[in-house]
Amino acid sequence: MMRLDTVRLRILGGLALLGATVVSIALFSAYALRTVRRSEEAQLETVRRSGTVGNGIAASVFQEIAAGQQYLVTPTASERGQFQDAADESFAFAQELERLPGLTLEQRLSVNRIRELQGSIEVGYAMAHALRDLGRDAEASARAAAVLNPATELTRLVRTLTAALAQAAHRTEQGIAAEMARWEAYLYLGLVLAVVATALAGYGTLQAVEGPLGRIVVAAERFGEADLRPVTTGRMPREIQILADAMQQMGGRLRGIVADVISESERIAASAGDLSAISEQLAASASEVTTAMVETSRGAQGQRVELDAIGAGLAQLRQTTAEMAEGAERVALLGEEIRTVASRHRSSVASASSVLLDVREVVQTTSHQVSQLAQQTAAIDDFVDLIRRISSQTNLLALNAAIEAARAGEHGRGFAVVAEEVRQLADDAARAAADVTVTTNAIREQVEDVTATMAAGTAKVRGIEDVAGGAARGLGEIATAVEQVEQAAARVAKTAQQNRDLTERLQERAQGVASQAVAHASSAEQVSAAAQEQGASTEEMAATTGRLLQAAEKLRSLVRGFRV
Amino acid sequence: MRQAARLAVEQVNVRGGVRGRRLRLRVADDSGSEDAAVRAAQALYDDPGVAAVIGHLSSGTSIAAAQVYGGGAHPLVMLSPSASSPELSGINPYVFSICPTDASYGEALARFAWRALGARRAGLIFLSNDYGRGVRDAFAADFVRLGGTVVEQDPYVPTTASLEPYLARMQRAGIDVLVLAAERPGAELALREMQALGLRWPVVGGDALTGIEAAGALAEGLHVTSAYLPDQPGARNVPFVADYARAYPGELPDHRGAGAYDAVLLLAQAMAASGPDRQAIRDYLAQVGRGRPPFHGVTGTIAFDTAGADPTKSVIIGVVRKGRLVTEATQ
Repeated sequence: MMRLDTVRLRILGGLALLGATVVSIALFSAYALRTVRRSEEAQLETVRRSGTVGNGIAASVFQEIAAGQQYLVTPTASERGQFQDAADESFAFAQELERLPGLTLEQRLSVNRIRELQGSIEVGYAMAHALRDLGRDAEASARAAAVLNPATELTRLVRTLTAALAQAAHRTEQGIAAEMARWEAYLYLGLVLAVVATALAGYGTLQAVEGPLGRIVVAAERFGEADLRPVTTGRMPREIQILADAMQQMGGRLRGIVADVISESERIAASAGDLSAISEQLAASASEVTTAMVETSRGAQGQRVELDAIGAGLAQLRQTTAEMAEGAERVALLGEEIRTVASRHRSSVASASSVLLDVREVVQTTSHQVSQLAQQTAAIDDFVDLIRRISSQTNLLALNAAIEAARAGEHGRGFAVVAEEVRQLADDAARAAADVTVTTNAIREQVEDVTATMAAGTAKVRGIEDVAGGAARGLGEIATAVEQVEQAAARVAKTAQQNRDLTERLQERAQGVASQAVAHASSAEQVSAAAQEQGASTEEMAATTGRLLQAAEKLRSLVRGFRV
Repeated sequence: MRQAARLAVEQVNVRGGVRGRRLRLRVADDSGSEDAAVRAAQALYDDPGVAAVIGHLSSGTSIAAAQVYGGGAHPLVMLSPSASSPELSGINPYVFSICPTDASYGEALARFAWRALGARRAGLIFLSNDYGRGVRDAFAADFVRLGGTVVEQDPYVPTTASLEPYLARMQRAGIDVLVLAAERPGAELALREMQALGLRWPVVGGDALTGIEAAGALAEGLHVTSAYLPDQPGARNVPFVADYARAYPGELPDHRGAGAYDAVLLLAQAMAASGPDRQAIRDYLAQVGRGRPPFHGVTGTIAFDTAGADPTKSVIIGVVRKGRLVTEATQ
């Protein structure tokens, strides 16, 4: 058996039961009524038709007999016509009788007999009429009399048949009535069953809904009173079970949440204290950061100045390098000139060498003559030496006289003047001797110079030759050296160029670094501002933390009311 | 009728039967009695092996039995080769007839009496049942319409011992044709009494008289209406008559036999097409001539109207000559 474990199923089941019962009762009633109606219709039709036909056949046979008898008395065409019409009518009724529905075999045979009798009555009278027409009245009367028996039998059969049909109809009606009574009983039984089933279904549904709902209401009220301990609800319909499960789940979740809230509020209180301390530290740190950032800003500015100086130095360096490059270019130009001059001089030296060979001859001759002159000057020297020794003696005497004159005083004046005059004469003589010495020396020197010059000239000429050769070689070397100088100058120029590029880059970089330094400085200023703001925020945080602490305390006092 | 039906069944079975099954002919006798007809009908109805009924021979028994065949839970086709009553047509959806109705017979009789016999005053003896009255009414209506007078209309029943008073009265009234809307026994009685009275009226009768030619001199010169005569020409009729004569030496088929022969072959065709189910056979027959092609049999073309009758069938006049029923030259 299916368990009715949902309210929906119970209600649907109840309704379906009720509906099915009602529909069955309705169908049953409709069927019963229709059966009764049809059966009654058929029966009524049979009874009606059998009554009509039975009466009709009996009446028409009587009429036929009456007309037949009448014709025997007054044989007129109209009487005969009436007889024939009655006979035809009677035959038609008999025909209809045969076609009655629902006849038993016995009744059909009875109908056949009725028709037979009906025919023999007709023929009997027709024959009697013929005999009457032929004037054979006795035979006619006998024929007519013979009709009476069949007529009696026919009447009896018709009555029997009609009565049998009526009785059958009555029996059927009785059967129908009995069946109706039975159906009525079934109907009442069905109704009672429907009522009982509906009442049971309703009661069961109410029971299934009310009890569990009450338990759930109690549970809900406990939740309302902050009692979140688990609730037991017992067995219940599925829909309410879902509700109860939801309540249980809700209670469980609330319990968990409240427990969490309690522990969390403790933690929040603790955390708020920690947070307060941290926010103070943070405020201190923020001011330190501000200071540090101000210094950083300053340092960045200094850095920028230094970098500017580096930039200037580098600019100077670049200028110098440019000059160096220019110098190198000039060196190169000079080298070119030197090379030109050297080559020109080398040809001059060659022509000078040939001249020098002639000069060497002249010099050797002159040198010999000068040596002779030098020997003559030696005699002059001796004379001069004598004069210089006299003058020196004189000068010494003049000096002694002047000393004596000074001792004589006024009386020696006059002598002093003579002594002076004598000294001046000695000086003059010495000066003249010196002049002669000088002149002699000059001559000697000149002779020696000439000699030396001669010798030197010779040597010089030789030397000049060597020099000329050397000059020629030197000029060659100079050309070589000039080339090397040019190469060196070119390298210098190249290097200078590289230096200039490098310098330019360095300068750019220095500028970049400088602008970065500027940026650093401004960043540092921003950081410093931010740090100051942070300081303010931290103060706010401290205030908030205070409020948080108060809230945590309040929360703790609130959740203390729950029973979990 | 039975012989012709048997011949037809044998021919069908020789050709392999229907759907590989042999046809079997079950014969019941109603003896012309409506009581016996009702009993026989009930027996046939209750036999589930019976697929269709060919019969009954006369209108009265056919009408009585039709009520049995057309009712209940498993109605059964009744295909009558010879019942001509107009009452039969439309009596229920399971009744079919392949012969002309009494109205056609009565009308043909009236025309023949008026034209061929030159009759103007007719005397009429009728069997007081559906058939006799049917022929009587049809004849009287047409004869009067043509201008003639029906002097007498006298009933009889099978138990009637003598018709002499009627004949005597007719002799006195003066008639120039005697119409026998009767069956064979009544007709032979009338002819015998006519002979006894020395009367020499031309006598005409309905198809129910067929077979009376065997009554010898009594019936000589009698005219009867028929749906079929064995001397009719026809591509199907000639071999049928030959087969019949071979099967039953010295005998010729009548309209009932020819009808029964056609009925067997028509039912075989229906069962071949729709199977041996009673309802299927009925539904097939209802479509013959209406949705399906008509059936061409020895009695001519068969096509049913909505009432199960065959309105296409024409009536021919036969005459008894030397003990044989032959087609009358002057129709």
